Amino acid sequence: MGYPYSHDSEVPILTKHFGEPEARTLAGWKARGGYVALEKALAMSPADVIEEVKASGLRGRGGAGFPAGIKWSFMPSEREKPHYLCCNADEAEPGTFKDRELIRWTPHQLIEGCLIAAHAIQAEHVYVYCRGEFFEATQVFARAVEEAYEAGIIGADLMGSGHTIDLTVHVGAGAYICGEETGLMNSLEGRRGEPRIKPPFPAAAGVFGMPTTVNNVETLCAVPHILANGGEWYRQWGTEKSPGTKIFCVSGHVRRPGNYEFPLGFPLSELIHDVCGGIRDDNALKAVIPGGSSVPFLSEAECRDCMLDYEGVVEAGSMLGCASVIVMDEKTDIVHQVRRMAEFYAHESCGQCTPCREGSDWVVKILRRIEDGRGTEEDLDTLMEITRQMTGTTICVLSDSVAAPVQSSIEKFRDEYLALIRRGERVGAA
Amino acid sequence: MTDGVPFKNPGWAGNTGEYELTEAQVRGHDYVGTRPRDGGHPAGAGSYPYMLVERHPDAPLFEGPYLERFNKIKTRYPDLRATLLPTLNLAQEVRGHVSPQTMDEVASLLELPPAYVRGVATFYTMYNKQPIGRFLVQVCTNISCNLCGAEEVLKAFLVYADTELGETSQDGNFTVIEAECLAACGFATCVQINSAYYENLTAKGVPELLEHLKSQVGADGEGEGG
Ligand SMILES: Cc1cc2nc3c(=O)[nH]c(=O)nc-3n(C[C@H](O)[C@H](O)[C@H](O)COP(=O)(O)O)c2cc1C
Ligand code: SF4
Ligand code: FES
Repeated sequence: MGYPYSHDSEVPILTKHFGEPEARTLAGWKARGGYVALEKALAMSPADVIEEVKASGLRGRGGAGFPAGIKWSFMPSEREKPHYLCCNADEAEPGTFKDRELIRWTPHQLIEGCLIAAHAIQAEHVYVYCRGEFFEATQVFARAVEEAYEAGIIGADLMGSGHTIDLTVHVGAGAYICGEETGLMNSLEGRRGEPRIKPPFPAAAGVFGMPTTVNNVETLCAVPHILANGGEWYRQWGTEKSPGTKIFCVSGHVRRPGNYEFPLGFPLSELIHDVCGGIRDDNALKAVIPGGSSVPFLSEAECRDCMLDYEGVVEAGSMLGCASVIVMDEKTDIVHQVRRMAEFYAHESCGQCTPCREGSDWVVKILRRIEDGRGTEEDLDTLMEITRQMTGTTICVLSDSVAAPVQSSIEKFRDEYLALIRRGERVGAA
Repeated sequence: MTDGVPFKNPGWAGNTGEYELTEAQVRGHDYVGTRPRDGGHPAGAGSYPYMLVERHPDAPLFEGPYLERFNKIKTRYPDLRATLLPTLNLAQEVRGHVSPQTMDEVASLLELPPAYVRGVATFYTMYNKQPIGRFLVQVCTNISCNLCGAEEVLKAFLVYADTELGETSQDGNFTVIEAECLAACGFATCVQINSAYYENLTAKGVPELLEHLKSQVGADGEGEGG
């Protein structure tokens, strides 16, 4: 069930028990069919577990959509050195609010997913890297971990399988860039959370120099269901290339914002107008950012036929990212919002790469100038040129994330920039 | 464990701290409230304060239960360097902020160069580099909250707490800062006050919330935040 609102047409797999306090306890989780999949997986060989997940076609929910089973298969099949699994619970992409809910409502679902994945990649230790701000979710999760340890579900000879898998909740300290997988590994090692140059890839030399896999919370939460019911079962939802269900985080100007779980390929307009009750105050829709603030804007026209799967959103002109649908009504001041987003990236840039460090700063300065009514039309060209130079030239894609909202807003809402520049007219200014 | 009895994290997780959260609160009986579809308000999901905030700038690193936790943390990682963030977290929990001197002490505790520890500590925004008020009010003004009036909420906090952005109010109660997305975008505006999230906040609700927080401060001015 979506939380706080739900809709009859949802397909609740991961979110089924949101809002049920009992589901947070070990007994409550077992009563809901928990840990059956883990027991099944532990009796299988790691290679077979990977095959099952490959068959499901499950794609990473952290933003890039890389198939989870294939990522796991990159790990060395012989364990010569320690292997690690990192669960990426550093959710910080503006517009995204699903992982915190998964952690605090279904902590055992995440533990189960982590342990199955750890078995598949032969990891002896799982680090769940939780965002530092998540005090409450982390406490709930820590309590569940403790309960699972006491019950012999984590640790030495877990569930009598003869394997040993440990799990540690690691708490971050506030840095968006630690969500990037190599930044996360550096941070876990007690360093600044600066992304690393690849190669070496994490599966070869990751955290502590050992073979490592990083997966998002939602990816791992889907795993127990796939193991319990089979990869084919998971494919009954979604599309050929984007199978399964996905949690859509809808925020902004809709009547009923929240997390809703639907099969991938769900129509965006239905999500906004039916499921979320439409635009609040009976306003018209202006724009949508469909995948968190790092992806391009979609104009109202582009939203109409947009299907929410990895391919569909690209076709419409943006990216699915983590399916964080940010809805903006006609009164939205686009320039103001883009400036605020650019400030976020300028603040969160780790500063290693010149295009990102300098570029994001200049973008903010120019956008502020435009917003203050001191901009020129030339500034728009400068913004396009700076962001072009920031794309594909840096260690990680944070830099590209600045370009997405800036370029797409200038392309799709040029009129608003021009109205501000030529006549000082702002949208939404009452 | 019975409802109403605070329990402590025995530290399996190593670094998530000691807390005063009743079983009922962890289970959600206490703070889930009525689900919106059953007639409740979405804000019913608001979390409770629970983190024990010890604020003794001169407290030793570490002794008593904190030493125990520090020792547990060390068992969870393959090397000492990896315990740096959890150790700084613990130091901040004890002292309230992480001063340059605290960084140096942590460095010697973990056998790391002091300059290295300073370099790491300053990378992360959650380490308070200077003392803050009893309540650290972090207003998310990122996109989803911004669309729903976060800037008004921020202004209201500044006006009613009578302080400037990033400064602490004269009575030592409130430090108000802007925060980046807190991952509660569907519950805009989201504000984090010490360890608790307050969701679906509007500018109108600010004075009442501030009064509520003030009432938690004891007569000696030594109340704990949350
Ligand atoms: C700047 C940046 C921030 C990121 N933040 C997150 C995040 O908060 N959570 C997350 O799961 N993935 C995040 N990612 C993606 C991760 O690098 C990584 O691809 C993901 O955790 C892999 O998990 P998955 O394959 O299960 O999706 C981020 C990437 C970048 C470049
Ligand atoms: S692109 Fe930006 S955030 Fe990423 S490594 Fe380079 S400077 Fe750091
Ligand atoms: S934008 Fe405010 S919590 Fe995400």
